[in-house]
Amino acid sequence: MPQRRRILPTLAVAVIFIVLEVAALRFMRSDGIMQDFFLARISHVFKAKVWGGTQRIGDYFALRGANDRLAEENFRLAQQVRSLEADRERRHLDSLAGTFGRIGDFRFQRGNIVKNSRGRQHNYLILGQGSEDGVTVHTGVITSRGVVGIVDAVGRHYSYALSFLNPEVSISARLGRDGAVGPLVWDGVRTDGAILREIPLQHKFNPGDTVRTSGYSSIFPPDIPLGTVEDSKIVNGATYDIRVRLFEDISAVRYVTLVSNDGRAEIQELEKEETP
Amino acid sequence: MRQQYFFVYYVLLTAIQVLLGNYFTFSPYLMVTLLPVMVLCIPTKYHTVWALLIAFATGMVVDLLSEGILGINTFALVPVALVRRSVCQAIFGDELITRQDDFSIRKYGIGKVLFAIVIVHSLFLVLYLWADAAGARTFSFNALRFACSLAAGLLLSVFVAEILTPDDRR
Repeated sequence: MPQRRRILPTLAVAVIFIVLEVAALRFMRSDGIMQDFFLARISHVFKAKVWGGTQRIGDYFALRGANDRLAEENFRLAQQVRSLEADRERRHLDSLAGTFGRIGDFRFQRGNIVKNSRGRQHNYLILGQGSEDGVTVHTGVITSRGVVGIVDAVGRHYSYALSFLNPEVSISARLGRDGAVGPLVWDGVRTDGAILREIPLQHKFNPGDTVRTSGYSSIFPPDIPLGTVEDSKIVNGATYDIRVRLFEDISAVRYVTLVSNDGRAEIQELEKEETP
Repeated sequence: MRQQYFFVYYVLLTAIQVLLGNYFTFSPYLMVTLLPVMVLCIPTKYHTVWALLIAFATGMVVDLLSEGILGINTFALVPVALVRRSVCQAIFGDELITRQDDFSIRKYGIGKVLFAIVIVHSLFLVLYLWADAAGARTFSFNALRFACSLAAGLLLSVFVAEILTPDDRR
């Protein structure tokens, strides 16, 4: 009888422990993708409002640096516009007029980061735009200097995006404009470091070569410059892993461009049909 | 004094942990946490079932309000609550549990308390770092992260243990 008395509490502890651990694992598995899950929603709104508010204080002191960068970017864009206008006149490409904010199936809009986590292994962003602004799940987050993340959950006024500084995010990238294509992932250490994996050995490259988006993804348009090659190592004697220094330090980004692919639904539909 | 104010300090330390999780992320190699020692210091008069529930609630609050994967602190903290009594029993003796007494640095010495903290902190970090790395990071990276986080966490944990387990004789 006393033995039975001892077994029952032990059993109760074991059952409760298992139930609580399973619950925690379920939360972990569903983090981010359960945009309709009320706890995740509350958490994201809290992070956006409270921690986002405090981040604005820090951002205020970074305004001078941001201003210098904007001025530099403005100059570069003005140069590009001048060059494009000259090109357009030369070729009489009047059909381009009226396509502002849209290239092919890709739709672009301005966005801003309300909260940018850094220094963790699974970093995320909270954007100040939500479904009312036309943001959808799988909207890409970019700047002119690289890819910042992918929207994973959308509220009315805010969106939750997985930062590129997250092992779950992998971008299809190309060496140069015509080189080999492989997945680009964060190196887990530096905020401007990434690794381009699975590059076949026959492809030649040099330190300083530019890495761009390949265009094979339905999220990001092709040819967004991402970074430059630093060095490489051979993995299992079969492929290169190339260390890439990103142009954009993602931990310091505030203003972004949100890019949505209007043809994505059709692509997914086709993929579904082809998948047995 | 301890029984009266324990949960007030506990809630305040949980709030501090939320702030640590949001603002003290200096390096990918460093993860500062007070949670394991907080659970270790839950008075022994509370049965393991209660400790498990308190650890779950604490982990959830921290997960919901601070950066990181939802559920990761909860996942790593609940096992700490499970082993809490066994660790106390093994290090401070059976008497502590049978008399439902509580340990303190003054009563048992810094060495024994530090040893107990090292065990629970290591358990928490192993589970947390394993879940956080999700197989995407090398062993050397995780090992370095573990060592840095344990070293930083121990210093803070001794301070937290001093707050949560004051000696009544003082």
